[in-house]
Amino acid sequence: MLTATGKTQILEDAGYAYSFDRLSYINRQTRKAFSLEFVQDHTESQLKACIDEPTSSQEWHFYFNSPPSEAVKRELSAVFS
Amino acid sequence: MSERTVEDRLREEYFALLPESRRLLEELEAEVRHCLLPLSSSLDRYEKIEVNSRVKDCESALGALRRQQEFATFDPDRADSYTLTSLNDLAGVRVLAFPRSRWREANDTLRHYALFSSWTSDPIPSDEGSTEPLAFKYHGFCSRNTKLRAELQVVPMLTGLFWEVEHAAIYKPSPQLKGVLASLEMQRPIREVYRALGIFEAEFERLVRSAPLDKP
Repeated sequence: MLTATGKTQILEDAGYAYSFDRLSYINRQTRKAFSLEFVQDHTESQLKACIDEPTSSQEWHFYFNSPPSEAVKRELSAVFS
Repeated sequence: MSERTVEDRLREEYFALLPESRRLLEELEAEVRHCLLPLSSSLDRYEKIEVNSRVKDCESALGALRRQQEFATFDPDRADSYTLTSLNDLAGVRVLAFPRSRWREANDTLRHYALFSSWTSDPIPSDEGSTEPLAFKYHGFCSRNTKLRAELQVVPMLTGLFWEVEHAAIYKPSPQLKGVLASLEMQRPIREVYRALGIFEAEFERLVRSAPLDKP
């Protein structure tokens, strides 16, 4: 069973919103997105580390369990921008 | 001419599979009703067993397959790898039973029925600490001549009716909202609904069993 409260609080505090169409948590300002599976399968501290990870703010950065193809990244970048 | 999308391919596959899905559903429903007949005939007035069946509609089937992918996104580079035959529940039968003792009986009866004995059990888990699942769920093939799996659910009646109301009120008019349910935020309120329905059914049954109804 999920222990959702801690993770959802971490994501909310960091400015992430849930995308129910793409089953993911996204932050348009930092241009980062986490798949629901990634959030479920990683600990709170791992999640925090990913949130704090510095990335280029020009391009979207996606956190998947299974690495996606460039085509998927392009589609998601277009949808989220 | 524009290139066909993954969704275009899957819609074509859906309609090619539809006649087989319908045949499969008819067969499955007939088997379930036949298997449950002795139990259905022995119910008290307040007890109920209902058998509902449906073939998933086209867009629901596509949506379900899309939500199985990370970020709910099909990869156009792997377009040929997606098939609706990977869904377990293109055709599905749901048995609703009230009260919970009849739900368990219905499940035991179906589980030992020859057709379903080889099916894969995939129960919907309940709260931590609960010894019973939220609902029993099985999938498998009705015959050797089909590549389509079917799903059988055996659900406590109030839980099943809650799913039906939820589906009719929210997801039927707005299928894209299906993803809301998967969010971490919704897990707790959903668990609370299930817990409340479970307590209601258990207490109802306890009282009825302790003070049997007058004979008509």
